[in-house]
Amino acid sequence: MTTMERIRRLLVEKLDLRAEMIVPEATLDSLGLDSLDKIEFMFALEDEFNIKIEDRNVKINTLMDGVEVIDKLIAAKHA
Amino acid sequence: MRRVAVTGIGVVSALGNTPAKLFENLMRGISGVRKITPDYSMQLSGRLAATVDFDPSAHFTKKQIKAIDRVSQFALVASSQAWADAGLVLDDEEKVQSGVSLGTGMGGARSLDEVCLDLYKNEASRVSPLSIIKIMANAPASHISIQYGLSGPCLTYSTACSSSSIAVGEAFRQIKAGYADIMIAGGTESLITHVSFKCWESLGVLALEDAEDPSSSCRPFSKDRTGFVLGEGAAVVVLEEMERAKKRGAKIYGELIGYGSTADAHHITGPTVSGQAHAMNQAIEEAKITLEQVDYINAHGTATVANDNVETQAIKTVFGDRALRIPVSSTKSMHGHLMGAAGAVELVVSLLAIKNKAVPPTANLRVPDPECDLDYVPNVGRAGVNVRTVMSNSFAFGGTNAVIVVREV
Repeated sequence: MTTMERIRRLLVEKLDLRAEMIVPEATLDSLGLDSLDKIEFMFALEDEFNIKIEDRNVKINTLMDGVEVIDKLIAAKHA
Repeated sequence: MRRVAVTGIGVVSALGNTPAKLFENLMRGISGVRKITPDYSMQLSGRLAATVDFDPSAHFTKKQIKAIDRVSQFALVASSQAWADAGLVLDDEEKVQSGVSLGTGMGGARSLDEVCLDLYKNEASRVSPLSIIKIMANAPASHISIQYGLSGPCLTYSTACSSSSIAVGEAFRQIKAGYADIMIAGGTESLITHVSFKCWESLGVLALEDAEDPSSSCRPFSKDRTGFVLGEGAAVVVLEEMERAKKRGAKIYGELIGYGSTADAHHITGPTVSGQAHAMNQAIEEAKITLEQVDYINAHGTATVANDNVETQAIKTVFGDRALRIPVSSTKSMHGHLMGAAGAVELVVSLLAIKNKAVPPTANLRVPDPECDLDYVPNVGRAGVNVRTVMSNSFAFGGTNAVIVVREV
């Protein structure tokens, strides 16, 4: 499963979103995530991908941003 | 002087999740007390509770269920009944004049339990970002204010078992004094958890199980009483300034005419006759009624040895000879002790006694106690009683006493 597919599954399971809304260009705001949802989303990403998003300043605006951050962190772990 | 009407009621209880069902069950003497088998059963010495039959998915989305503790879910469901019942549609200006006043003893106790379990036992490195908003005691009131857009006062009172009577009484004062025109008031509680159960158990105030019939274990005013049974649920009333309610032709359950709020200032758990009597006298004085006019008293009646004895003496102190002729019942024998929601659910019962012209019984009163010699409406409810004015008593650990008087309009 690709990173995007796993994110889609997470959002459906954890935040009760409809799968068809979840496209790479979608912003977290456009998906209706409020500030609490965003924290939960970050926690869910950490658990799902077994990573730590330590940098509080990391900007995840669209889902594509999320994919990039995750792939980078995974690559760094394996490097 | 501004007067205060009750124009809507709602309830979530072990005896039903509508006011009508609750009252019907009470009149039939049916008990909501049962044996429960949570996964921590083995650690409990008693397993009695009056639990609510409640399916969150019938009322909330998956996402809401995760973000809203059961204590707030109860409050929201009771409010939705009361709000629909009142039939209110408010414009923005009216919403500013409307608020929420809720009582709760332990707030989001279940969520706190879950977080502690996760941290202490599972050694979790972090917890859900929703934890605080589920645990905080003012979450139920805030959810209601958000749901209906009420932007006046949004208040939460925690005075143990009198929390919701205090919340209703303080809401009454908000309207009376002109700070608000409409208040959603009441209480909610969901504390049947491992930690809270064990804590209550240690205090020695929980009823011992009746071997033959566990549902009859709570026996207020009976010589063989051993304590109360933990309950849960919520009850909410819509309070509305009388002229406003009349002008829009609202159905009016009754008028809230008196509120007494006093402290025993004596002992953290032991009640006093003087503190309770003082609260009753205050409420009667504000109501401007005579003692003869009180047709029914919904007692605090916890079925602890101390409370029932002291409450009986306090009623006698206030009412003198008249005390023996007023029906006094404790419906906690059936719906359990709802703690921070107890006063509100009993206020709803009081309003329904007026509406139905009927007095619900004290269930399980089988052995007369010479110290408790009032008319407790033992075991069988009475229909066809001209109930016009009711007093509802709520007392509490900590010593905060609250008494509400309602009257037919």
